Amino acid sequence: MAENYQLHRGLYELVKGVPQSEGNLMADWLGGVFSAVDEGRPIVYNQFTIFSELMVALDVQPLCPELWSVVSVAADKYACCESIDAAQEVGISPELCSVDKTLIGDIMLDKMPPPGMLMLPTFPCDNAKIGYQVVAHLTGAPIYFLDCPYWMDDEEAMDYWVNQYKGLISFLEEHSGKKMDYDRLKEVTEESNRCIDYWLEGIELLKTKPLPMNGPFAAGFMPGLTSLGRPTATAAVKASLDTLKARLAKGETAVPEEKVRVVWFYYPVFWDGGLSRWMAEMGAVIPVGLIGYYPAEPIDTSTPESIIRGLARRSLETPMGRQGRGPSDIWIEDCLNAVEQWQGDCVILAANPGCKWLRGMYGLFRDICRERRIPVMVWEVDFLDPRITSEEESRTRIGQFLDTVMER
Amino acid sequence: MTALEELTRQADTLTNPYIERWKEKGGKIVGYYCTHIPEEIIHAAGMLPYVMRATGSTSSELGDLYTSHLSCTFCRHSLDQAMRGEYKFLDGLVALNSCDHITRMFDAWRYDKVDLPGSPFYLRLLSIPFTVDAPAVEWMTGEFDKFKRSVEEHFQVTVTDEALRRSISTYNEKRRLLKSLYELRKTEVPPVTGAEILRVLIASTSMPVEEFNQLLKQMLDELGGRDGFSDYRARLLLAGGELEDPAYVELIEELGGLVVTDLLCFGVRAFWDLVDEDSEPIAALARRYLERISCPRMVDYPRRDKFIKDLVKDFKVDGIILQRLKYCDNWGCESPMIQWEARKDGTPCLILEREHLMSAMGQMRTRVQAFLETIER
Repeated sequence: MAENYQLHRGLYELVKGVPQSEGNLMADWLGGVFSAVDEGRPIVYNQFTIFSELMVALDVQPLCPELWSVVSVAADKYACCESIDAAQEVGISPELCSVDKTLIGDIMLDKMPPPGMLMLPTFPCDNAKIGYQVVAHLTGAPIYFLDCPYWMDDEEAMDYWVNQYKGLISFLEEHSGKKMDYDRLKEVTEESNRCIDYWLEGIELLKTKPLPMNGPFAAGFMPGLTSLGRPTATAAVKASLDTLKARLAKGETAVPEEKVRVVWFYYPVFWDGGLSRWMAEMGAVIPVGLIGYYPAEPIDTSTPESIIRGLARRSLETPMGRQGRGPSDIWIEDCLNAVEQWQGDCVILAANPGCKWLRGMYGLFRDICRERRIPVMVWEVDFLDPRITSEEESRTRIGQFLDTVMER
Repeated sequence: MTALEELTRQADTLTNPYIERWKEKGGKIVGYYCTHIPEEIIHAAGMLPYVMRATGSTSSELGDLYTSHLSCTFCRHSLDQAMRGEYKFLDGLVALNSCDHITRMFDAWRYDKVDLPGSPFYLRLLSIPFTVDAPAVEWMTGEFDKFKRSVEEHFQVTVTDEALRRSISTYNEKRRLLKSLYELRKTEVPPVTGAEILRVLIASTSMPVEEFNQLLKQMLDELGGRDGFSDYRARLLLAGGELEDPAYVELIEELGGLVVTDLLCFGVRAFWDLVDEDSEPIAALARRYLERISCPRMVDYPRRDKFIKDLVKDFKVDGIILQRLKYCDNWGCESPMIQWEARKDGTPCLILEREHLMSAMGQMRTRVQAFLETIER
């Protein structure tokens, strides 16, 4: 059955020898997935707002489907098209997020290892909630929803959420046949704390002007999706941090002449890996992005209860989970905060057609940015499907926008 | 004028003479989106609950400023009407975290982008669980209790348990009467059309419930003497999300399909399940509004699947038409799942995409005609 995942197998072969940081993370994750596939062990689909600590502690293999798709288009920009088309051909709405169409199509075409179980919170969007249910329907795999209150503004709401998280542990135990070892969970959480400390330190350093480095800290917190809680994840983030510190110490900058600092408060265009390099040639840097914005707090590991509560609380702050679980205020405030803290000159929003929850708040955001004279560019581009907006069109529009910002 | 005529004409406009009389007497009206809102609490506070519609809207020009072209057109039109001051007859609005479209539209209300009456306007979004289990019921109970208290505080009224019980009883009566009406549709010669039923359901949420119940009783009596409809080509179940335009159903029925049951907001989802009248009122309401037959907003597809299968059997359905508003992800994915299951059972199923305003009717006509030809009795 393994021959069906050749794209990812090939990528694994490519990255497993890479000695540093992100390459190791990828190799660690894909290696774990393929071991589970080859040995017939169950794979847990963790939606991208559920980080890996519980699975690491239970020693079950996470597979974040959204990351699987990102890896696909990073290797071949058209890799998701076949799956997207397959999902639409059986009646799935064309307006569904391409991530979820890809997931459904991948399952139908056997391009992703099937889940032994699925888990996701009821945020950030309708796409994920219904898309995962389709996968559960197609595969017969058990699914667990962590039900999240819309207003997380009191302890009652937090207690409810923590109980959902406890329910997740029970679900994982039941369907993996393993029992949670809370001493092990403590170790994993402490490792996770270390990793996140490094991450937060890195994000903080990116407030430096001119920007010392374009790259992983703004591009996204991948360890959370793959191996947070494992030493490999911590080592990868530390390696990136060390590189960043070294560049700072030497006075190295991301671009020779920094002209514009762009707050990219949405997902990258995953199939267009060269876009940020192209922007850099124009003197534009990205000090902060939505998926690197992770205001996590350290977890008190003194008791099992404090660990679970801490993990639950932190799970509310995951990139996009944090902004997608409640009212528009959170995303808007975070974005404005990012502009202020990271000294952004403008905001660019790559508007994925599937993201109705986010698209629906742009009008409010636009009004606020006009008042504050923050230039904003919104352009429609699908982050997995290059057929919607071409690379050339994106560059033309971004280029024109950046020119305008630079002239201010 | 018959009761049927009186009830069915209320669907044509946002307000109606009942609402006007209510307002003239100083009554307050609270609008709400979605059928998870406990209308009994609003009623027990002495106010008129009103299901939000965008009836009469012809443009979403203003609404588009605070939505997007990927927002569902019902929300765009409804927000447009709010921005144009068309809902000034309301004294408050309640919504819930129904879906991405409703929550974003509600944000525009919260950010004061709409044209409201001058007095302090009651605005609340209830946090309703997506799952159905004991903790969710408990959460819902707390949420309804907070809702009740906020209504009391804002409108300076007291909602007693006794008043709640009376309201529950009155609304249960409405539900029983509507079920009786649906029972008539199980017959070979149903005395009402699907379009008429949609109109009646709209009336049920746009006028005082006591007057509605009275008229519905009268209507049920009148239907006993009405010739039924026997010249249909197929008995249909109409499912999907928000649908408030009877013309849509009329078009299907003009072509020979008779809608004999549904899974609609203005349909069974609004009334099918009763509230337990013997339990503590708020807890009983919470249980009913969470456990009732739902839409794909709730993550309990298997329950709906079974419910649809039961409807198909009980109402002797020949085919299912699933209408979904474009950009609704929930129905956009659940519709094919329903279709896959229906096909397994040998029940033909057609999925139709639509916008809030009737458009592309020629295409719809062709598709429905073709569908009816394949299943004709």
